[in-house]
Amino acid sequence: MHSYIRPGQFVAIRLQSDQLRLIQIIPDTVVNLGRFGSFTANQIIGRPFYFTFEILDACDEAGNQLRVVSATELHAETLLADGEGDGEGDDVETGENGIPMRTNRQINDENSSQKLTLEEIEELKREAGGAGKDIVAKLLESHSAIDQKTAFSLAKYTLRKRKKYLKRFTVLPLDVGLLANYLIEERDAQKSMELRDEHIGLIGCWGNVHHSGNIEVGEGMKPHGRYAIVDETGGLVVAAMAERMGILYPHDADEDPTEEQDVPASNAAESQPTDGPQKSRRIRPQPMSATTNTITVIHPYSQPNLSLLKFFGYDTNNPDESHPLHTHLKSISWMQLADPNSDPLYANEPPIIPAEELAELKQSKRTAYYHKRNRWTRVKAVVDEGRAGNFDGLIVSTLLEPASVLKTMVPLLAGSAPVVVYSPTVESLVELADMYSTARRTAFINKKRELESQSSEGEAVDLSSLHEEFVVDPTILLPPTLQTSRVRPWQVLPGRTHPLMTGRGGAEGYLFHGVRVFPTTQNIQAAGNVRKRRKMETTSTPISDRDVEMTS
Amino acid sequence: MPSPFLTRNALADTDSLALLQLRRDQIIPTILRDHDDENQGYWEGKVTNTRFGSFPHSTLIGQPWGSQIVASKVDTGSRGRGKSAKRKAEELDAEATTTGAEDEKKKPSLRAPVSADSGFLHVLAPTPEAWTMSLPHRTQVVYTPDYSYILHRLRVRPGCTVIEAGAGSGSFTHASARAVFNGYPETDGTTKRRRLGKELRDHGLDGIVEATHRDVYEDGFLLGDPKTGKSPKANAIFLDLPAPWLALKHLVRNPPPGQESALDPESPAYLCTFSPCLEQAERTIRTMRKLSWLNISMVEVAQRRLDVKRDRIGLDTEGVRGATLFPKTVEEAVAKLRSDEQRAKLIRENRSTRDQPDHQPIAKETAFYNEKTDIPVYAQGRLTHRSEPDLRTHTSYLVFAILPRAWSEDDEQKCREQWPSAKVVRPDNEPKTSKKQMKREAAIARAKLREQQKESEEKPQPESEDKAEEEKIEEESTKA
Repeated sequence: MHSYIRPGQFVAIRLQSDQLRLIQIIPDTVVNLGRFGSFTANQIIGRPFYFTFEILDACDEAGNQLRVVSATELHAETLLADGEGDGEGDDVETGENGIPMRTNRQINDENSSQKLTLEEIEELKREAGGAGKDIVAKLLESHSAIDQKTAFSLAKYTLRKRKKYLKRFTVLPLDVGLLANYLIEERDAQKSMELRDEHIGLIGCWGNVHHSGNIEVGEGMKPHGRYAIVDETGGLVVAAMAERMGILYPHDADEDPTEEQDVPASNAAESQPTDGPQKSRRIRPQPMSATTNTITVIHPYSQPNLSLLKFFGYDTNNPDESHPLHTHLKSISWMQLADPNSDPLYANEPPIIPAEELAELKQSKRTAYYHKRNRWTRVKAVVDEGRAGNFDGLIVSTLLEPASVLKTMVPLLAGSAPVVVYSPTVESLVELADMYSTARRTAFINKKRELESQSSEGEAVDLSSLHEEFVVDPTILLPPTLQTSRVRPWQVLPGRTHPLMTGRGGAEGYLFHGVRVFPTTQNIQAAGNVRKRRKMETTSTPISDRDVEMTS
Repeated sequence: MPSPFLTRNALADTDSLALLQLRRDQIIPTILRDHDDENQGYWEGKVTNTRFGSFPHSTLIGQPWGSQIVASKVDTGSRGRGKSAKRKAEELDAEATTTGAEDEKKKPSLRAPVSADSGFLHVLAPTPEAWTMSLPHRTQVVYTPDYSYILHRLRVRPGCTVIEAGAGSGSFTHASARAVFNGYPETDGTTKRRRLGKELRDHGLDGIVEATHRDVYEDGFLLGDPKTGKSPKANAIFLDLPAPWLALKHLVRNPPPGQESALDPESPAYLCTFSPCLEQAERTIRTMRKLSWLNISMVEVAQRRLDVKRDRIGLDTEGVRGATLFPKTVEEAVAKLRSDEQRAKLIRENRSTRDQPDHQPIAKETAFYNEKTDIPVYAQGRLTHRSEPDLRTHTSYLVFAILPRAWSEDDEQKCREQWPSAKVVRPDNEPKTSKKQMKREAAIARAKLREQQKESEEKPQPESEDKAEEEKIEEESTKA
């Protein structure tokens, strides 16, 4: 839980202009917010999140330059913007029908109403104190047509000017929801596949992604909480799932700011001596060594692109060993999964050097040897584990053809494990849903049976022609479901409640999901046609008996 | 026993909740039993009857989750009233005399089920989503699109504590229990307790969820006694109440003296209210502003499910199910008209020669299309998608708000001592390079320098030494 701002942490700063900035808070530095001013980072370290600070013009004797803006004050503004602040609620003059009387009929569409010239405003900005409040007040004062404005447009005007001149900012914890919004609003949304909050929530729920608990893996149980993820959003999906699994934030356990004396973990890892004699070596957690509550990322290139994880204190190039992702995040390339022997890292086991021989080697050679051995063991373990499958869920948000991913991955899932595929556009998922259509499933079963009946007893059935015709096995995933969701934000102000007038367009975002099932080997005959029809007449259930149509 | 919602065994076990999926939206929840716990008198033990046949639990237990199960022939008729009553009476007598031992003996006497061809189902491990689809409706259900978004916005993560007021059908309860796992959501049913408590026990969630029953408008959210009870220290609150603004006064940082705040003092509190009407939401927001909640926002979630179909149109689709018999192109329409015209002409001519002795009736109409296509039926036609027929166009207005953690003068003072405000050691615009990177750069620079020296001194020397140097650097970096 984000209880206070930690040194070295990435935070989001929301400016008055509603802009978001991601800033790493490093102790003893200055944070610069452009035209909104600057402040020393120490003034916000240790403080709670969601506080709004105002940058004062002068600092006090201790060097404090920030003032916490109280919620009452913030809302006084909102209420002012509502046109009902300070008891002016009923100030809007209304005519007989309750319609506001002042209208915009007399308002001229020109810039002459503001009597202050640009130079004068610039002058004010230089002189005025009070963090821009004076400027806003002056601007309002010298607006010639201010009394012609309706309460609504006055509120709008005040708000606009306030956004421009007030030196305030709010510090928000950088979590997955915020990062997703930041990527969409401030960055290239395409890179994160235009993934929105509502879809992140849906992916996690339909994927049944959750912390797997600390229960010992008993008999008849398998290691739980192993999720396979194919993520081409730069790590956003991995971060979202890790958040749900409780392995994203390094500091979730310790909460008290006064007890926190540690140097930020990333610095600690860096400052560790990397060479020289180190007799009392602490046992370091091996990367990717966790067995439960893990994420396995499958990536097309030799390294996964998970660069967004750096915002959560995990840099894939320079991993922090104390971070939970260090042990719980595993990665396999598609080649390692499909054909591990083509991968030299996996296939070429470094020869074991006997201990006495090893002792004679130079220090650097010895480290190199251990490094190579460890890497090989790690790769082997992760790849073997991945190929053995039995994953508890599959989450896909990829640029690859979804069918090709599912063809490889669905057989590797445990029974009843959910499959979720996200795509910004619908077309690829419509095609995917069609791969699992009832008609195709029926055809698949019929063809399979035909092939089986052709082959003689005891002989392995040649199903290659079957897999040629059908990209995916339509019998092992049910029920293929396609959905989309969109959140509509509203403005709620007294008497002026309505949905926001504008919003972001772009990709709608779609989700395909299903569950891994095991088809019975028994030959299922027609599902009681006669009885079914009679039942149809008596009950008023819809006739689209998808599963029942599977006749042979 | 761990909850099957959270950790599951590989196989469907006795006494575990299982969800029997008949179709996409038809899921029957049942608790797997190896004995006839409801005493319905089937020869096969406990049986679940569905539209697609009867499924004795003995055919479900021990199967891997996700297995397709074929229905069995179960004699539902002969356990008629009289007989079953008699059976029951006999059993009651038996139970009265001998208890456990008799049960043991009864088990093997269960008949082995015989498979029937009436249908099948899939036995699925429970998830909050499937449960939401299957659950016995008590009140308005919070469906997956809503609760997934709410839990995400409330930042509910493992270890959090959630207060849920107005648990209703329990769909949100299950989803939030999964999300917090080792924290627990607290559930307050404002009206009748309903069956939720038993349900949570059956699902193994009773260690995670604490269900209480009270009037939260009056009594607030403290555990136990409303005035002196222990604080649940909530991080997130979900209010599904008719008048959420009445409950807000109990969710403050500074409660009346002698009482604890129900909120976690060391983390921000995230709040969501769920109201179907705009007036409720407006009133809630007004109260929130007065009580210093921040980042207040209201949204509604619009979700659609899409049906994917293949639309087939054409004159060659005669007899194909679901296809539209209609020309697919102008050319096809023209060709059809032309052929119809020709046929009409033929008939006219035929009719005019009716009286002649060599008259022959015209042959039966030949099909417009003769050629067969190679494309299998499942891949014919155009792939289309449309919204499912019944849409949920409005569920509720979701109002979100945040209350920052408690913060006192003392806390601020401590912080100022620990992090002196004026202290600046590094100018902020200096690029931050890690030690490792600096080392690496220095090493590369050294190597370059040496290379240059070597080149100037003696040309033929290979760069083996540089390579060794580079390798060493790499070792160092990987070791780090």
